[in-house]
Amino acid sequence: MNNKNLSFWLFLLPALFALVVVVFFPFLYGFYYTFTDWNGLRATTFLGLDNYFAIFSDQRFIDSLVFTIKFAITSIVIVNVLGLGLAVLVTQKIKISNGLRTIFFMPNLIGGLILGFIWQFIFISGFDAVGKLFDLSFLQGWLSNAETGFWGLVILNVWQYAGYIMIIYISYLQGVPQELLEAAEIDGASAFQRFWRIKFPLVAPAFTVSLFLTLSNAFKLYDQNLALTNGGPYGSTEMLAMEIYNTAFSRYDMAYAQSKAVIFFILVAVVALTQVYVNKKREVEL
Amino acid sequence: MKRKISIIFMFLIATGLLFTGCASDSGDKQSSGSGEAVDVDIFQFKVEFRDQFEELIELYMEENDHVNLTVQTVGGGSDYAASLKAQMSSGDEPVIFNIGGPTELDEYRDYLADLSDTEAASLALEGTLNGIEDGGEVLGLPFAQEGYGLIYNKEVFDQVGIDPKSLTTFDALEAAFAEIDANKEELGLDAVVAFPAMELWVMGNHLANHYIAPEFNSDIMTTFGAETINFEYGDQMKRMLDLQSQYSVQPVLSLDYSMQVEQLFSTGKVAVIQQGNWIYPTVEQMDQEFAENGIGMIAMPFEGEFEDHLPVGVPQYWAVNKNKSDQEIQAAKDFLDWMYTSDQGKEFVLDEFKFIPAYDGYDADRIADPLSQDVYQYSLDEKTIGWTFMATPIGWNEDVLASEFQKYLVDEATWEEVLQTSKESWESARQ
Repeated sequence: MNNKNLSFWLFLLPALFALVVVVFFPFLYGFYYTFTDWNGLRATTFLGLDNYFAIFSDQRFIDSLVFTIKFAITSIVIVNVLGLGLAVLVTQKIKISNGLRTIFFMPNLIGGLILGFIWQFIFISGFDAVGKLFDLSFLQGWLSNAETGFWGLVILNVWQYAGYIMIIYISYLQGVPQELLEAAEIDGASAFQRFWRIKFPLVAPAFTVSLFLTLSNAFKLYDQNLALTNGGPYGSTEMLAMEIYNTAFSRYDMAYAQSKAVIFFILVAVVALTQVYVNKKREVEL
Repeated sequence: MKRKISIIFMFLIATGLLFTGCASDSGDKQSSGSGEAVDVDIFQFKVEFRDQFEELIELYMEENDHVNLTVQTVGGGSDYAASLKAQMSSGDEPVIFNIGGPTELDEYRDYLADLSDTEAASLALEGTLNGIEDGGEVLGLPFAQEGYGLIYNKEVFDQVGIDPKSLTTFDALEAAFAEIDANKEELGLDAVVAFPAMELWVMGNHLANHYIAPEFNSDIMTTFGAETINFEYGDQMKRMLDLQSQYSVQPVLSLDYSMQVEQLFSTGKVAVIQQGNWIYPTVEQMDQEFAENGIGMIAMPFEGEFEDHLPVGVPQYWAVNKNKSDQEIQAAKDFLDWMYTSDQGKEFVLDEFKFIPAYDGYDADRIADPLSQDVYQYSLDEKTIGWTFMATPIGWNEDVLASEFQKYLVDEATWEEVLQTSKESWESARQ
């Protein structure tokens, strides 16, 4: 028994060591820096909580927080609805369903930066050309105002993640016992009833996973944001991660940026944990 | 027993793997430090001349066996600043790096070696060391001079019969734009101008500087010390902004640099763009004939003391890391000297880099391209103003001013609000 314990710790040690060195230690160090005026090279004075107080009157930070929340809610809803829809579609007995799965999943294999630039081209040049051709004014001038910047980001994010979320829903949909569906069919349940009354409740655990993934992903989005709009126009599409990055690396306010990052971390952690807790509870009840 | 041994064995392998990375790394460093060769890491920002620069380095290393130069290039603007800072704080400090003016000089003061004993420093042209000297020490060597203004398509102006050189006032420029605009169908143009309002630096740094520099007497250090900004020439700034956006391909807020230069100007779809001599290689790649004979540069209009003055400045300086060994510092200085003062180096600077030299002793006739020649001509005539955006509060030009310009362009803010917000932000940064 003792022997087993020893081997347990011995196996754990390398991973634990790596974790402490590259995660815990920098995290604590960073936390300490938020109380100073660290500029990336050196810290000279101890400021206490001044950095944190400043954040609450920082209009830019608040704007990007609001924008991020708006973006997160919109894209979580659309990604999950679409992901589930695609999953239901490709689990039908149609011939090309395997091909469709591959195609829907593909966007997820492309890096965020490249996607951003591709979509920038589509929004700016592609949409514009189509808009001119059919004289549709709403397709012209994309990404040049706050509204289209927002929807551009949502479309890009949905396009990239719907396929990934689809895979999760597929695995749960395939776990739905066939006999239940057959029994329901014999009882005369329509296709919609079978989906809504049987499949939907049974894939509920998948929502936990998917919501968690899409939520944390939407909050932490950076590279797509950078490539597509770079926060523009006039900083209206600057999401939290980018705002923090810019504070640190274009305004050189490292300690302040670090304080924002701590707030950001707490926010994401609280939202994500609450959401997991609520969903777990609901699963048990089912 | 057998199991115990295998467990310990596995553990050893696991830890062994974990530490291999560190071990081999430190081994490398030792061998290079004690050996004869001097390693000089260069960390530079200018993506446009990376290939040519690497060629030059090959050449230098062929002649100097004992020096081993390695270059790392990280794209322009804030990306470079961020990576440099990361490198500096990671402890893997480069020997030669770039800094851009007084703000960064202040920040990296502890890292900067005195370069006043180099030959290049003594040959630097009047004014090019303004903003990089501190306490009698020269802390950086200028890369080159650069200038920006309105770059025009000669053929278009020939066809409408207007001499671009005469466009020194707003009225003249506006009349010319209107004339071209009226004939744009026959001239095969999409619009008169391509104004990339998506690029914060084009508006916030360049356009704005033309009307900010005169307020600070065109001096970098005055700007660096200024506690407030009054936008004395704000009306002219507004006029230039309006003029460019009005005659531009629309919508300006989704126009970027590459569309402006490559898609629109190089292909002859617009007649005028506000850019600098650095676009030459890009235009040349698109259309060599057009680049060599079809383009020229004039200053943006300004009414007042600095009429027909071109903003010319030193975009970046070479700095040498003081914390390195004497041997490395000397090797770095030797290389920089060689690049700017030896015959071979000069040839590269003029013919390959296509720089406008910031040093004495160059054959002015050999400056390669028409844009640089125009810049150099303004420089010779002493009709230049400084690049004061190097000395404004950090991030102010792009994050505040240009961002406000964007709001103004889509009617989210009035011009008074733009100036007011920018002024307040300047003042709070300089408190």
